[in-house]
Amino acid sequence: MTAKKNRKKRKRNSNLQKVKTMKLAVMMLIILLAFAGLGVRLYVLTRDNRNDYQKKILSHLDYNSKTLPFKRGSILDANGTILATSEKVYNVVLDCKVMLDDEKNMDPMITALVQCFGLDRGELTKYVQDNPTSQYRVLKKRILYEEREVFEEYKKEYNTQANEHNAKAADEDKMGIINGGIWFDEEYIRRYPNNTLACDVIGFTGTDNNGQFGLEEYYNDVLNGTNGREYGYLNDDAILERTTVAAMDGYTLISTIDANIQAIIEKYIKQFNDEHMNEEREGLGAYNIGFIAMNCNNGDILGMASYPDFDLNNPKDLSKYYTQEQITQMQEGDGEEYYKTLNELWRNFCISDTYEPGSTAKAMTLAAGLETGRIIGNETYECGGSLMVADHDISCNVSSGHGTLDVSGSLEQSCNVAFMKMGEAIGVKNLVQFQRIFNIGLRTNIDLAGEARTASLVFTEDTMRAAELATASFGQGFNVTMIEMAAAFSSIINGGYYYEPHMVSKIVNSNGDTVKNIEPRVLKQTISSTTSEQMRQYLYATVAEGTGRSARPAGYAIGGKTGTAEMVPRDHKNYVVSFIGFAPADDPQIVVYCVIDRPNVADQPHATYATGIIKNVLTEILPYLHISRTEEMTITEQEEADNLLGNIVAGENKDNENGDDSENAENDNNNNGENGADAQNPDSDSGKPTYVVDPNTGELVNPDTGEPAEMNYNYEGDGSNAVPNEGEVQPSAPDGAQ
Amino acid sequence: MARTMAKKQVQIRHSRHNMDYILLTVVLFLIAFGLLMIYSTSSYEAGEKLKDSAFYLKKQLQSTVMGFFALAIMIKFPYKYLQKFDLLAVAVSIALLFLVLTPFGVTRNGARRWLDFKIISFQPAEVAKIGVIVYLSSIIQKLEGLGKNVIRTPKGIAIVMVPPTIIAGLIYIITKNMSSAIIVMGIAVAMLFVAVPDYKWFIAMGAGVLAAVAAVVGYVSSADTTGAGFRLARVRAWLDPESYSTDEAFQTLQALYAIGSGGIWGKGLGQSMQKLGFLPEAQNDMIFSIICEELGFFGAMAIILLFVILIWSCMVIANKAVDRFGSLLVVGVMAHFAIQVILNIAVVTNTIPNTGITLPFISYGGTATLFLLVEIGIVLNVSKSCK
Repeated sequence: MTAKKNRKKRKRNSNLQKVKTMKLAVMMLIILLAFAGLGVRLYVLTRDNRNDYQKKILSHLDYNSKTLPFKRGSILDANGTILATSEKVYNVVLDCKVMLDDEKNMDPMITALVQCFGLDRGELTKYVQDNPTSQYRVLKKRILYEEREVFEEYKKEYNTQANEHNAKAADEDKMGIINGGIWFDEEYIRRYPNNTLACDVIGFTGTDNNGQFGLEEYYNDVLNGTNGREYGYLNDDAILERTTVAAMDGYTLISTIDANIQAIIEKYIKQFNDEHMNEEREGLGAYNIGFIAMNCNNGDILGMASYPDFDLNNPKDLSKYYTQEQITQMQEGDGEEYYKTLNELWRNFCISDTYEPGSTAKAMTLAAGLETGRIIGNETYECGGSLMVADHDISCNVSSGHGTLDVSGSLEQSCNVAFMKMGEAIGVKNLVQFQRIFNIGLRTNIDLAGEARTASLVFTEDTMRAAELATASFGQGFNVTMIEMAAAFSSIINGGYYYEPHMVSKIVNSNGDTVKNIEPRVLKQTISSTTSEQMRQYLYATVAEGTGRSARPAGYAIGGKTGTAEMVPRDHKNYVVSFIGFAPADDPQIVVYCVIDRPNVADQPHATYATGIIKNVLTEILPYLHISRTEEMTITEQEEADNLLGNIVAGENKDNENGDDSENAENDNNNNGENGADAQNPDSDSGKPTYVVDPNTGELVNPDTGEPAEMNYNYEGDGSNAVPNEGEVQPSAPDGAQ
Repeated sequence: MARTMAKKQVQIRHSRHNMDYILLTVVLFLIAFGLLMIYSTSSYEAGEKLKDSAFYLKKQLQSTVMGFFALAIMIKFPYKYLQKFDLLAVAVSIALLFLVLTPFGVTRNGARRWLDFKIISFQPAEVAKIGVIVYLSSIIQKLEGLGKNVIRTPKGIAIVMVPPTIIAGLIYIITKNMSSAIIVMGIAVAMLFVAVPDYKWFIAMGAGVLAAVAAVVGYVSSADTTGAGFRLARVRAWLDPESYSTDEAFQTLQALYAIGSGGIWGKGLGQSMQKLGFLPEAQNDMIFSIICEELGFFGAMAIILLFVILIWSCMVIANKAVDRFGSLLVVGVMAHFAIQVILNIAVVTNTIPNTGITLPFISYGGTATLFLLVEIGIVLNVSKSCK
């Protein structure tokens, strides 16, 4: 019985054993198949995706690498005043993930951000709750170092408190700390401390370090440096290490521009504009006003301005000239109109726009005549008010005629008839040749972006026939740019040396070491020095006795020529009036050229609009350049000059009279009255002008107070409203200009 | 009486020569390798965040030492006594699971899965796995003792399968730990599979599971499931990891990058890029991807081979075990290891959706290693008395 049972049991057991073995084998097989499948899957993954995935992983390395921005070089004026500079600013970046390492840290951090950066608490909290894993959120852009310091101070103070508290407190009551969830990305922004000063010359640069217009564009590569890099790598012990390749800062430009001269020029251009605004038609005092002041003995541009101007810190701001409605209207559609308007505003009239020079070109005609010997100087011309040339009756500027004129008289009276006759004597070949010699029709290669080409706008021997010869000899029929005229005129009066005009005298690196000195370049001898001397005399006589009389600043002898060019269509309506001159008459130092494109007056063809500006500018800048007065002044003139030079500081300087704080920028205002003139300012026997830059220290000063000026910047492009800088050269902008 | 005594003594003496040293060696190697890899994967993150690059290594080392004590005890402790723990094992498992809801339960890494008794803290789900193995081995043996086909009756099936199902359900409901629930059910099914001679039920069940999976996949890929629970999101991420690379599939995708970039021979031990913060908590369930990255396909296959040896050894022991109970215990352990290794690797290679199953002995996790060593102790104990 037992045996039977046992056998039965054994049988069942062996049955069970068989089943178990079988089942185990099946299970093992399934397991092995699964492993085999996974092995194949692994193999396929590694085989097919290796390069792809390796790239993905290598791209992670970017997370550990950071660009260190270079600092774009500054642009300084001849005295070292900053015209344009780059300033380091910071972007506030929030890393929610790091911040939320400990939930407790969220509240103090957000409080700190709200307090230090004026952010909205609700918005911030919502963002953090919605995106707890976000690692890069720019909360605020372009804050200054000082603003950053406020946060760092707050953080330090709070954390000290929190740590003290936490040292004692139990786990549950521990305070959160402000941890590394906030960092600051560095960036540079371009700043123009003088806002509108020399805007057309300097040009502007956004955050992309890509200069537009003027020096910023022309010298873009010089101003830009090379970005540095901070990157992490794994060392032999697989520890992440950081290495920094420092950024190479860009080079700084020392310009030939003198901020004071520039400011004086802009002051009087603006003044003209304000006087004639909305006079004859709606709008500005003239379509364009251009002014160039250059050193005629080396081609240095001392000042170059045009109006309308714009704020370099906010170049897209049109509100000065247009109402918001008009701007919105312009922006409609593809905004083509808007950008066209901006482009008009940004372009530099002095180098980019062309016009017929008019009578100022007579200086060239006469110089060509004298140089070629076709005019000896003893000729006389009969002017009856008009001249018949090739079936055209070309009238003179005085319709009744000038009567009999000698060579000097022809220039003094700007007689068209006389010059047509001179032109005939000189001949087509010579006139065209001399235009080339004076570089008319060729670029001057001034170091500014956007210089116009005028090659197709001047005559060649083939296109110049009798009538064209006649008109060209008094400056009509061909087009020039202001800089062409200024450079050519310089060579006429400086002894015949044609200097390439230039804006930059030196390039220095970020340590102030000179990288390159830009020496004056004489390109050619245009006329002989004898001819030049003769021309100086004629031009002196033109100002002393002739049409240019109104350009003469009191106490100085200058030479120059007016110009009144009728624009196409020749309907006696629209004129470009101008004056080009030099000072002093016997030993030219400076050439000034002023062009007013269609002054906003009823009766346009009067060069007095231009000579008025010239006179005012020269009255101020000649003393500034230490050029002494040589002529006697009448009492009226004396008063006038005093008025001009002293008008800004009247009363102010009395208080500072014996001030001995010579470091103070005011000291320039002190040496008037009984103190007499000091060696540097021999002519300052009247009220002293004040400058935007102290000529002695090169520091920026406030012209109203004489105190060193606070730089008052406007942010570019961050949406903040441009606040007119009260301490600035320009009076506040007229509103409602159209 | 004397005969039985003598027989027993012979058995014991016999067993001393028979303990499976191959299995022990493989386990020791896997543990050593695991510690190495935990240090390799976690040192960067630990150094960055906790200022102690060996933080995870130290913690794992502590539990491993405890695990070795448990292993030694289990090798000595005659497994036959476990037979008595059938219902008790189930009761203890369920009780511990409910304890999670009491103040003993603690939340770590965002999930309430731990019990903290101050001296020792562990996941009750790990205890439940052993509990289920013990209960099933015991109850199957008892049912077989009652008659040939008792286990195949509906009542028998119910007795065998209901307690594991309850435990799995509780694990899922109380601790929200689907991976452990899957493992518990997997162990139960595997043990039943070995115990009964039938195939067709299992084939039908397998087909059913496959159909269900296909249905879910079809539903997810066609329907608009935005806003559905995170498990569905995981399925979506599994189907198309590149589209969810920032959230659900981030870990999976980073793991794939790690595997793919390792190539055949790997970048070399310690040379992983992904562990540098890109694959978060790489020492946990994604550790295999770092192994692939550092040691390549070759290294990964070597580790898989070690697990195959481990499972094979278990199979041999189960086959040779002197009694039904010991054999079933080993089958349970074997199923446990096989399921965990296969599912882990399948997740890492994005063959199945992410479930959060760890790799035995290699992934970081104190409780898991401790109880896995207990299971190995039981297997070694059984191996001592093999034929």
